[in-house]
Amino acid sequence: MEFGNSGSLREDGIHLDMDRLKKGEVNLGTSIMAVTFKDGVILGADSRTTTGAYIANRVTDKLTQVHDTIWCCRSGSAADTQAVADIVKYQLELFAMTNGKPPTTQTAGAIFQELCYANKDRLTAGLIIAGWDERHGGQVYSIPLGGSLHKQPYSIGGSGSTYIYGFCDANWREGMEEADAVGFVKDALKEAIKWDGSSGGVIRMVVLTAKGADRHLYLPDTDYRVRHE
Amino acid sequence: MAAMFSQNPLMNGPNYSINDAPRVNAPEGAREHRFDPYTDNGGSTLAIAGAKFAILAGDTRLTSGYSINSRHHPKLFKIGGTTADQKDATIVLSVVGFAADGEALKERLDTICKMYRYRHGKPMSVKACAQRLSTILYQKRFFPYYAHAILGGLDEEGQGAVYSYDPVGSYEREQCRAGGAAASLIMPFLDNQVNFKNQYIPNSGEGHALQERERRPLARDEVEVLVKDAFDGAVERHIEVGDGLQMMIITQDGIEEILLPLKKD
Amino acid sequence: MPGFDFSNYNRNAALHARGVPLPKATSTGTTIVGCIYEGGVVIAADTRATSGPIVADKNCEKLHYIASNIWCAGAGTAADTEFTTALISSQLELHALSTGRKARVVTCMTMLKQHLFRYQGHIGAYLVVAGVDPTGTHLFTVHAHGSTDKLPYVTMGSGSLAAMSVFETQWKASLTRDEAVKLCADAIEAGIWNDLGSGSNVDVAVITADKTTLMRNYIKPNERTQKLRSYAFPKGTTAVLNEKIIRKADLGNFVSVHELTEENDDKMEVDT
Repeated sequence: MEFGNSGSLREDGIHLDMDRLKKGEVNLGTSIMAVTFKDGVILGADSRTTTGAYIANRVTDKLTQVHDTIWCCRSGSAADTQAVADIVKYQLELFAMTNGKPPTTQTAGAIFQELCYANKDRLTAGLIIAGWDERHGGQVYSIPLGGSLHKQPYSIGGSGSTYIYGFCDANWREGMEEADAVGFVKDALKEAIKWDGSSGGVIRMVVLTAKGADRHLYLPDTDYRVRHE
Repeated sequence: MAAMFSQNPLMNGPNYSINDAPRVNAPEGAREHRFDPYTDNGGSTLAIAGAKFAILAGDTRLTSGYSINSRHHPKLFKIGGTTADQKDATIVLSVVGFAADGEALKERLDTICKMYRYRHGKPMSVKACAQRLSTILYQKRFFPYYAHAILGGLDEEGQGAVYSYDPVGSYEREQCRAGGAAASLIMPFLDNQVNFKNQYIPNSGEGHALQERERRPLARDEVEVLVKDAFDGAVERHIEVGDGLQMMIITQDGIEEILLPLKKD
Repeated sequence: MPGFDFSNYNRNAALHARGVPLPKATSTGTTIVGCIYEGGVVIAADTRATSGPIVADKNCEKLHYIASNIWCAGAGTAADTEFTTALISSQLELHALSTGRKARVVTCMTMLKQHLFRYQGHIGAYLVVAGVDPTGTHLFTVHAHGSTDKLPYVTMGSGSLAAMSVFETQWKASLTRDEAVKLCADAIEAGIWNDLGSGSNVDVAVITADKTTLMRNYIKPNERTQKLRSYAFPKGTTAVLNEKIIRKADLGNFVSVHELTEENDDKMEVDT
């Protein structure tokens, strides 16, 4: 282990070094969002991960599957959010096997919250959980830094989201058609990527409906107009 | 976020001029923002005085952190000539440390030497120039030139002279001196090979009574070989030394400059 | 007794707070890369190890064995990359034995990330994990904090920017084995020349479904130049203040003696 030169010994003898805590973390300085629409829910994200000024991955997949039709958008520390998502994925698989039926989005949200709240002093994780289930259809839950859980009609998150609060507030409508909802997510993320330096790359989306999960990919080469893959 | 992963060049070793490192014993999360005007640009220099010559050398790499800013940045400067190309100069200054301060120091000394020549109608002696350089450095005692300077030339008797300085003007005439990043690697080699330190004459006595190997003035070609081997060695073990070797040999006939390649990794 | 020994922690923290500089670990300020091609994966590394600005080892090995079909390139703290890969290699072998199946690259990557996440970045291992298993060819990066990425071409270490500039200009979707090896070697060379933390030689490993080929010192662009003269001293140059002679026959009384049979490949530089 290397020791930094910074830090101090507190009166109680505890060695404090704020700088070394999470030094060199891989960050998802991100733009993420999830919106409900008529038939289900759509998750969207940019694809940039950074370590300081360096782009460590320009085609990152920040949309992570934790069950068949329950996904999450990750922002904050890459390591922390991956670790949390991996644990929840395992918990939900176990849930489905023991109960003989798929978990609801709410259940997934509750498990996520459990981890985020209990470890709030150790985690840098801003999550949006979105899913489709038989009982409730499309739902969106957000878990910001402290570990609280909020059910919302739509949610935006990450550093890029600050630029699109006005856009989303003005343009989001209850019960949109799928094509309109996809257009809304794309336009919002385009704007976030444009203004936020820590967001960029491609736009990824996942559409969750009764038909299952459908992945979308939009590239900057075509100004995010054409759907690829 | 300022922090990058630990091997990142920008976080280790010399950094940007703007220092945002947390202050020791600062309240939690507090950061002192101040301007840090110094950077270490690496590199190494060395000088050896011979019987009728003085030789100065320096590598031509200029670094900051883990980056190479230039592979052809000279550390040796001719001082006090009357023309732009300094072809009638008789003194050489080498500077290593913070390149910008080195450059500024060279300009100051050169200007002063030129003024001296204009006013007195003769070039400055190395002895006088050496004393003047000390004065220049000490003038900035509380905001020093962040550089290790070595001055070389021929004294009034025509013997090789090498003067070495600390950043605030303390100086000494020496037989040989290494400066900069790899000084601690080169200096012991010079002590051994120029002043024959730790070398004894075989079978000349027992234990402490053993006779030291006698010092003799080295020939120019011998010294050139030592300089090249010293730098080749330093390049092998110090990451901030490399790319090119610039040598200046001051003799009665003028200053000869030699450029040799060094390893570039 | 498993895990790390923390018995000196409080003492060291107190010393550190009083301004005592604590020991600096050897860091492989490194360039490591990896690249997938049709039929396999290539990883490569430079061979310089540094301790601050001093070159600690001119020809170290940064390509680590995990399993016959999985190899790892390591950057960061040398000891951490060495021990972490060895630990996971051992666990993976036991896992393979108990399941009766060949080890998978994702398994290796998951074990590494969970181990590193547990230590919250204090284990400074930055790894490129590559391999071929029954599910296909895989290439990952694992950061010290436990985050992972899956990409067709990757770079890590202090020379990662230099190396990535080569990939971002030269990489194409379909590469042959030779093209991939050339691309990786070029990327490492970019690190060797332009990053002070990297240097000396290029090591390359090619992993395919049926075998792994390790090419130690694939390129040696930094051979030491010949010294211009010999620095051998005449016998008796060094003063001997006292002496005690131990005959070769009695050597076994003081140290354990191993007779070397093979000629050592890694000879020390000695003047003759």
